[in-house]
Amino acid sequence: MSSPNFYSPHRAEVSAPAAKPSERLRVCELSHAFQAADGDSVPIFDRLDFSVGSGEIVSIVGRSGAGKSTLFNLISGLLTPQSGRVEVGRRADGGEGRIAYMLQKDLLLPWRTVLENAVLGIELYRKVRREDIERARQMLARYGLDSFADAHPHALSGGMRQRVALTRTLLVDPTLVLLDEPFSALDYETRLTLEDDVMELRKQNGTSVILVTHDIEEAIAMSDRVILLGGRPACIEDNIDVRLSTSGPRTAVSAREAPEFRAYHSRIWNGLRGHSIQHAGASA
Amino acid sequence: MSDVAISSTVTRKRAASGRSKTLGTTGIVVAIVVAIVAGWQLAVTLGWVNGRLFGSPEGIYRAAVLGLSPQGTLVPDTLATLFETLMGLVVGSGLGIGLGLLLWFVPRVSGVAEGLSVILNSIPKIALGPLIVIWFGSDMASKVWLAGISTFAVAMISACAAAREVDQDLLNLFRSFKAKPGMIFSKLIVPGALPWIFSTLRVNIGFALIGSVVGEYIASQAGVGHEVFVAGSLFDLNTVWLGIIVLTLMASILSWIVQLTEAKVITWKRKR
Repeated sequence: MSSPNFYSPHRAEVSAPAAKPSERLRVCELSHAFQAADGDSVPIFDRLDFSVGSGEIVSIVGRSGAGKSTLFNLISGLLTPQSGRVEVGRRADGGEGRIAYMLQKDLLLPWRTVLENAVLGIELYRKVRREDIERARQMLARYGLDSFADAHPHALSGGMRQRVALTRTLLVDPTLVLLDEPFSALDYETRLTLEDDVMELRKQNGTSVILVTHDIEEAIAMSDRVILLGGRPACIEDNIDVRLSTSGPRTAVSAREAPEFRAYHSRIWNGLRGHSIQHAGASA
Repeated sequence: MSDVAISSTVTRKRAASGRSKTLGTTGIVVAIVVAIVAGWQLAVTLGWVNGRLFGSPEGIYRAAVLGLSPQGTLVPDTLATLFETLMGLVVGSGLGIGLGLLLWFVPRVSGVAEGLSVILNSIPKIALGPLIVIWFGSDMASKVWLAGISTFAVAMISACAAAREVDQDLLNLFRSFKAKPGMIFSKLIVPGALPWIFSTLRVNIGFALIGSVVGEYIASQAGVGHEVFVAGSLFDLNTVWLGIIVLTLMASILSWIVQLTEAKVITWKRKR
């Protein structure tokens, strides 16, 4: 059990020369290994390098066990990398960048109302002001939750709860939002709506997004770029710029109807599968 | 939205049918109790059982009237036991819960303290009675101590567990928001432990009552336990029964108060 007092300052905030202004996140020569029960060190990453631009949506796709969750924890600062750096880019006005994340579990506190849950992130680092409450109410209203502001989470459906979680994530004004399989527990329709919400966010605030997922369709539909993670230690096996010619604005639905969609799908699918065949061959 | 509305009507319907079911069950329970009491009285009246050895409902009633009369001591005895039990419960559980939760800040100490409290909890607390009476005398203080010791370890073990069992993902979320340990404690650990705390309190009412009554059995000048003990040695079984009934009522009322408080404090639980 890790000590509850354990708190690792995010590497990027201590290392001075951070990512370039146009970059929201820079992962430099990141290496990390886990200590196995028999004392062996199992490398997860060996000098991983990539960056995420301002307002860019990047998906990280890989087979289960490829180290997606570890990468998520390293970027979010919950794990400290054994070597290498995770740098968070500054804001356009020079202010400190900030990462916020969202998981498949909504992690709403059952004893708080929807509004109180939404402002939790602010409350934990400074006093909540009246403007914050106003902003929270507006954002909840945008997601159709204004009449539920004073309800407790148990009264809400899964999709509504996930929107409250999204509101809580966004209210801290992150420059980068990390999403780990955020919609996989939701029904298809709700999922598409929430995918649109995230894409809308980038359009409105220029927030960068990293989406960790095993859902190839979701990755293609939402992202500007898909990073395919594989191997042990994991490295970037493919880096795919996604360009879709949609009729009208790009939405979760129109993206899936784009003519290029199938081609991207099979490229990623083959990338994932190719790797699994190699694995099978190696273990045989 | 519509599915929320539907689910709420379903809950309401379920609640309504639940209420009538509860009413029916209560009726059956009352009927059985009345039947037992009536059968008992009948058996004594008809001479099937010896009223001196078993007591009788009529005799218990007479003991109650006598106890409540100006010469009787039922009211001061009840108040004495109630006071001892409540003090023991509040001080013992309060210290146990407070300490158990605060130990969250120092996980290393927490393991040691939990181990010690498991040992403390394994001691049959009643066996400590004679020691406590020697140390703290035969008046109320010794009963409060015994009741307090009976509840302390249980409260601490369960508070430790509640603090430790907090959802790791929630803990990570708080850390990702750069929450200081004090913030995590007051906004996550304590509210998350509330349901555990209430169930511990409910269990501890029984333990505290046993502690104070046993203390009164060993050495005392007042209290329901005192009255039961004295009446027992005089073969006054009706008064013994009266004491048992008073203690049962006391435990039920205290438990009911804790339940009411829990319902007031924990408003966020899904109603079943």
